[in-house]
Amino acid sequence: MTDPAATLTGISKRYDGVVANDSVDLVLRRGTVHAVMGENGAGKSTLMSILFGLTAPDSGTIVVGGRELRLRGPADAIAAGLGMVHQHFRLFDSMTVAENVVYGAEPSRGMLLDRRTAATRVRELSDRYGLGLDPDATVGRLSAGVRQRVEIVKALHRDADILILDEPTAVLTPDEVTSLFAVIRRAADAGSTVVLVTHKIHEVLAISDEVTVLRAGRVTGRFLTGEVTGRELVEAMTGRDVVSVVNPGRGEIGDIALEVDGITVHERGVTRLADVSLQLRRGEILGVAGVSGNGQHELVEAILGAAATSAGSVRIEGRNVTALDVRRRRAAGLAVIPEDRRGEGTAITMTTAENLSVGHHRSAPIGGSGARRGWLSPSAQRSEAKRLIADYDIRTGSEQTLVGSLSGGNAQKVVIARELSHEAPVLVAEQPTQGVDVGAIESIHRRLLDYRDAGRAVLLVSHEISELQALADRVIVLYSGRVVAEFPKEEATTARIGAAMTGVAERVGGELP
Amino acid sequence: MTNESLVTRPLPKRFITAAIRHPAVVPLGAVFLAVLVGAVIVAAAGLNPIAAYAAVLEGAFDPRSLDYTVSVWAFTCGMALAAAIPLRMGEFNLGGNGQLVLGGLAAVVVAQLSPLPGVLTALLALIAAALLAGAFGAISAPLATRFRIPIIISTLLLSPVAVAVVSFLVRYPLGQPGAAVAQTERLPDAGHLPSFAGLSYSNLGVLIIIAMMVAFAVVDRRTAVGFEIRVLGANRRFGTYGGVHVGRLTFGAMAAAGAAAGIVGAIIVMSPPYRLIDGALISPGYTFAGLAAALLAGGRPALLPVTAALFAVLQVGGASMERSADVPRQLSDVLQGVVIIVLALRTVLDARRTGRSG
Repeated sequence: MTDPAATLTGISKRYDGVVANDSVDLVLRRGTVHAVMGENGAGKSTLMSILFGLTAPDSGTIVVGGRELRLRGPADAIAAGLGMVHQHFRLFDSMTVAENVVYGAEPSRGMLLDRRTAATRVRELSDRYGLGLDPDATVGRLSAGVRQRVEIVKALHRDADILILDEPTAVLTPDEVTSLFAVIRRAADAGSTVVLVTHKIHEVLAISDEVTVLRAGRVTGRFLTGEVTGRELVEAMTGRDVVSVVNPGRGEIGDIALEVDGITVHERGVTRLADVSLQLRRGEILGVAGVSGNGQHELVEAILGAAATSAGSVRIEGRNVTALDVRRRRAAGLAVIPEDRRGEGTAITMTTAENLSVGHHRSAPIGGSGARRGWLSPSAQRSEAKRLIADYDIRTGSEQTLVGSLSGGNAQKVVIARELSHEAPVLVAEQPTQGVDVGAIESIHRRLLDYRDAGRAVLLVSHEISELQALADRVIVLYSGRVVAEFPKEEATTARIGAAMTGVAERVGGELP
Repeated sequence: MTNESLVTRPLPKRFITAAIRHPAVVPLGAVFLAVLVGAVIVAAAGLNPIAAYAAVLEGAFDPRSLDYTVSVWAFTCGMALAAAIPLRMGEFNLGGNGQLVLGGLAAVVVAQLSPLPGVLTALLALIAAALLAGAFGAISAPLATRFRIPIIISTLLLSPVAVAVVSFLVRYPLGQPGAAVAQTERLPDAGHLPSFAGLSYSNLGVLIIIAMMVAFAVVDRRTAVGFEIRVLGANRRFGTYGGVHVGRLTFGAMAAAGAAAGIVGAIIVMSPPYRLIDGALISPGYTFAGLAAALLAGGRPALLPVTAALFAVLQVGGASMERSADVPRQLSDVLQGVVIIVLALRTVLDARRTGRSG
């Protein structure tokens, strides 16, 4: 082939002493789909931010179309023919598809926006790539998959010939993924270069032409997709075979610890959860499968009491807690590992000790009891933190280190340590291994199994089918806010769970709660 | 390029990077920059900046006016407290003026009507001031949690209402008939705060305000409530998930902030000339000097006395600078403004710096 569309050479970037990219080389060939893969935290996003001008590298060069670029910002990157579709869409919900697409590069008639040209342009691009977009639709009413296509058209409208897609399938249903891949293929065939940032191996194998694998900021593998196996990709990503912890079998099933009955959640007119019921017994791990955004987070918040529900009840250890607030529900025997570590799981500007003590700060030894009720002992806060740091092998400078400066895996261990140490009868763990390295995943998995074996109940929400298969005694599948399937461990095959995740209802065992 | 060049990045540069990230850099830089900007303005006007600043310090620390400087410091501390308590949980109380005058009003009314003997009357007046101003400050909490009206907005907009109501009361129903200015009658002796021998400005009020500062520091460090407030300030969603009662704490923090401002108002009217004079509580600018001091301290209890001292010195010294170095005292306001702008800039720069993810 001719000269590459873009060449990145020796890109290095560090943040506060953490190496995000270490002499990374990346060659993007024209008309190919190039997958950049790696675990969360491997440096993929940093590399893409550098390529798109969002972050300045400490060293290294970027050559696009034979010209070395000094990017001062995304505007320079766009001018050089780059386009990026971010994981979180950057669209105006109240405006139309056409308005969003042309924003920043509007066709105009005098002072006015030329709406007809804008609409024609959108229709033209939509037809060429088979996107099926209506230029006059309001973006706020569109599904995630369609919004993503709006972002793609936005980049194409600005004549992007290198399209960066950052984790594009994270928000999509399986059907939407299939049609996204068709669009990607069509764009590449038309001569565009597509960079697909992902950590999902089957996607890489399904759509890409070439792969660059990153681990801990370095390139650990370069492959032609046709010549590589999934196993080789895993090895490049993890440095070794993934030895996953496997649930050795059912624990001793006890009484009902958590009972959710007919929970319904409406949010701004949209039904997020529809009549969801489940029973979780002591000594059991119940897995909740589903594509992200099918009601899992709403279910967790409904159990915790952090968001309003329209109907239904929650019982913890037999006690109806529906009318209680978060603190009382926790006191009734609930601990929660939230999905979003930085959003809900930690306060990054506070110390490790402070983060570890939230929720423990009103009981001995950190909080006072009796006459000292309501008081707090900073020295107990520190000593308890030291104990948990040692127990859970949290790699931190000291208990006074800010959580924001810990790695993702260690920050997650802070959350795990804090919540498990409540020893609450019911643990809700939402994506407990998201964005942590393999070693930490193993230790977290073992902890969850131990937690169950100690006679407690675990509700495990995960988007990774393999994680649910490894840990759960029973799996339910959420689709569109409903429980569409339930499988005992033995019957929870990838094919069955996968089918249910796409909305194909199947009820096995006939005992839906 | 090999990664060696990365590892052996010159040490000084790394050291400097680390030093720049230190949390104290921005506040100190703000003060330094303010002093610099002030100097440039004074020099541009053809005056000697060093003489001007020397006049500020001399004026503030002159033994004859030290008593006055201390009282200004105490009032600034009190209003800094009114801003710092909500700031600890990430909220801005811009309603200090309204809370201040309501405190003054409550104290005057109670002191005039109370049949109790001396000390009890004064105590009752202080409590009434704390209750009324605290209740007024607390209104913003349900407005925020129930109706989603940001506290920064509701306090800012409710404050002038309170100021206007108090101004009306002082002019008409409570005003001293025949007086040249709008003011209440002189308080009976029972409503006077005991003054210290030989001092004309600093009185028991200074000790009351110091006691409030100590109480804030203790609550902040040593109680579950103080910890929860800091958790909310660091990450509200995290606090909610951890079982912190956001609504109740917001209510408590706003009530405490209002009470602190109200007590400052009460102390001012219970000090010479022992009257509530229309506009006299607001015009010295304690509220916004206090807010600047709280922002500069990042709400940290241990730093409040220091940053409040800075603005008190500027204010007291500014007046004597005007007399002895012929530099208008408005320079103090300029310096205060520069400090706030730099601190606001930090928020923007912080937001830019966090462009980091996996």
